[in-house]
Amino acid sequence: MIKGILKNIIRRKQAIRFPEEFQVPPDQELEIVDLKKKIHAIFRRSLRIRQVDAGSCNACEWECTALTNPVYDIQRFGMDFVASPRHADLLLVTGPVSRQMELALKKTYLATPDPKLVIACGDCARDGGIYKGSYAVANGVARVIPVDGCIPGCPPTPTAILKGLLDLLRYTRKPLDT
Amino acid sequence: MEKLLKKAINIKDHLNEQYIEVARDDFRDACRYLWNEKDAILRLMFAVDERSISGSFKVHAVFSIPGMDRFFIIVLSLQEPVRPAHGPELVEGDDLSFPSLTVDIPAAHWYEREIRDMFGLNPQDHPDPRRLVFHESFPARSYPLRKDWAITDSDAKEWGEGMAEKEPYRFMQVEGEGIYEIPVGPVHAGIIEPGHFRFSAVGETIFFLEPRLFYTHKGTEKLFESFGFEDGVNLAERVSGTSSFSHSAAYCMAVERMMGVHLTEKAEAARTLLLEMERLYNHIGDIGNLCAGTGLTVGYARGAVIKEKLMQLNQRVTGSRYLRGVNLIGGISKEIFPHSDHIRSTLDIVTKEYKGLMKLLLGTVSHIERLENTGVLSREIARKLGATGVSARASGIPDDIRHAHPHLFYDRLDFEANTMAAGDVLARMMVRTADLECSISIIRTILDGRYQGENAAGTRAIPPFAASLGYTEGPRGSIFYWVMADHAGGVFRVKLRSPSFCNWPVVPFAVHGNIVPDFPLCNKSFNLSYSGCDM
Repeated sequence: MIKGILKNIIRRKQAIRFPEEFQVPPDQELEIVDLKKKIHAIFRRSLRIRQVDAGSCNACEWECTALTNPVYDIQRFGMDFVASPRHADLLLVTGPVSRQMELALKKTYLATPDPKLVIACGDCARDGGIYKGSYAVANGVARVIPVDGCIPGCPPTPTAILKGLLDLLRYTRKPLDT
Repeated sequence: MEKLLKKAINIKDHLNEQYIEVARDDFRDACRYLWNEKDAILRLMFAVDERSISGSFKVHAVFSIPGMDRFFIIVLSLQEPVRPAHGPELVEGDDLSFPSLTVDIPAAHWYEREIRDMFGLNPQDHPDPRRLVFHESFPARSYPLRKDWAITDSDAKEWGEGMAEKEPYRFMQVEGEGIYEIPVGPVHAGIIEPGHFRFSAVGETIFFLEPRLFYTHKGTEKLFESFGFEDGVNLAERVSGTSSFSHSAAYCMAVERMMGVHLTEKAEAARTLLLEMERLYNHIGDIGNLCAGTGLTVGYARGAVIKEKLMQLNQRVTGSRYLRGVNLIGGISKEIFPHSDHIRSTLDIVTKEYKGLMKLLLGTVSHIERLENTGVLSREIARKLGATGVSARASGIPDDIRHAHPHLFYDRLDFEANTMAAGDVLARMMVRTADLECSISIIRTILDGRYQGENAAGTRAIPPFAASLGYTEGPRGSIFYWVMADHAGGVFRVKLRSPSFCNWPVVPFAVHGNIVPDFPLCNKSFNLSYSGCDM
């Protein structure tokens, strides 16, 4: 293992690059620093996200999973996905909310402790997307539980989700932990 | 075979599909004959509400015989019992039923329950009277795929409340000393789709597992009917996220075959290329994900990085990480081949990294030991329940649509249907690695060629009441679409069958006798889509 580390140091092996088209311009980098402060201020250094699939096609889930890979590495912002709504500050809901998931989503919302935020992630979650008008969907998360923000895209790229989360936090001014 | 054809009331040929309409009494015999004598595979089974055309419901069972590029579609007409024009709704006992195939052909069991839920056609003598697609709160006697059905406000309200139990669902119960139940889901701990699992365990060992799915049922088939054929492509792409391209390719193929449109060589090559690129990123992701099941974090992270590189390649080549927005009826919408060099160079990097990952995984005893002899799916169960794709091939069934029914470029390519005999988690991983190497070589072969023609061949008018199958081998297994046009060339019926619908029923058999902590591992080794199954 030491040999490997030395080899990497000598070769100056580079970390995996962030996708070119998403290279963060210098001025935006400032925002990310700013965001870190915000998370510190609002959520005391950590934002815990509970992802809830309410009938999505699974593309949004994979993009959320991608956020935890070494390329996007969401943990470096002090955010992470948690296993239970009881541990969560934020619900990231995907899918148009199929009627058979409606109850489970409501229960998940109720199980999340206050203060909490809800983000509708993806076009389906916003208003039903392509599934809008089907007999078996509720046409968007906002019809079922209160929503604080939307991240558009079908599916939104990991960068878009990350940016969406950052934006949401930037505009959430109300101190949540009163 | 001649005996079967002699019994037919009506035979219709369309490309490699043969529609054999039989009388009610012969339906079971005809299907049994294909299944038992010819070793046929039940590809899909569905009903169509043709009351506005021929005054009857039609049940179709699609079989294909190994080694024969031909589909035998046994059709049964069900006349609605005559009743007064404004008479009462159908009640129990009205003869809107068809002979169930399940007892002879276990692979039919979910299809028949689905037909009962969606059309209200009762499979006679089906051993399982419970609902499949709809949960307790869905209004009784409501059959969404009937043409005259629309959800009423009161039904919608009742359903949404989720309180009124109209058709109670009984989980199968295991009785005995020391047996306890573990209910899991629909909201799980990880970032995955919703589904409920009911384990009956003895100590740590799973004695019985009953999955309850269809939480993500979105009424996709009904929605297809309100779309045009062109717009349907978008919906097909969103049936199952990580099989977007395979689904839309199968759907487009069905519509193209119905229109009589032939793809140009270039479009065929591009579609084949993208199908393989989809398989590639899925399989690498799956191999990496298995490590999450055994706690090998390094392997998981390395798999995720390779997958990410392939996703970024997808984005550069097509503008979408999930290869969406590329398929059109009649061809593809984007130039793929100018990106050849880019694809090649990424493949070089990926191949190298993947080899390193495999060396790590195969060299890690603690990882391999967990995979070996875990989640064994026997060949017999896989055959009887009609498993498809990686799950079937890892249990020794050499079923690969690319071979069995060559389409696109696959008859011009040299590759094998990779099989393993063991049927355990390791076998499924090794089949994936073999498939993956196949995909890499197919992609390279296609990139080396030069192709004539336009990207899109254009569309043609659709003959009234035309129907056709479309199929392809997705990353999880065979994907089937069956489309039918109405009198004006609009959409009359779209039936889709994703591989997960065939593979979910085998999971309980594979986990039987394993310990509860190995369930995630077994589940990951199948990597089934909930959304694709639930539709």
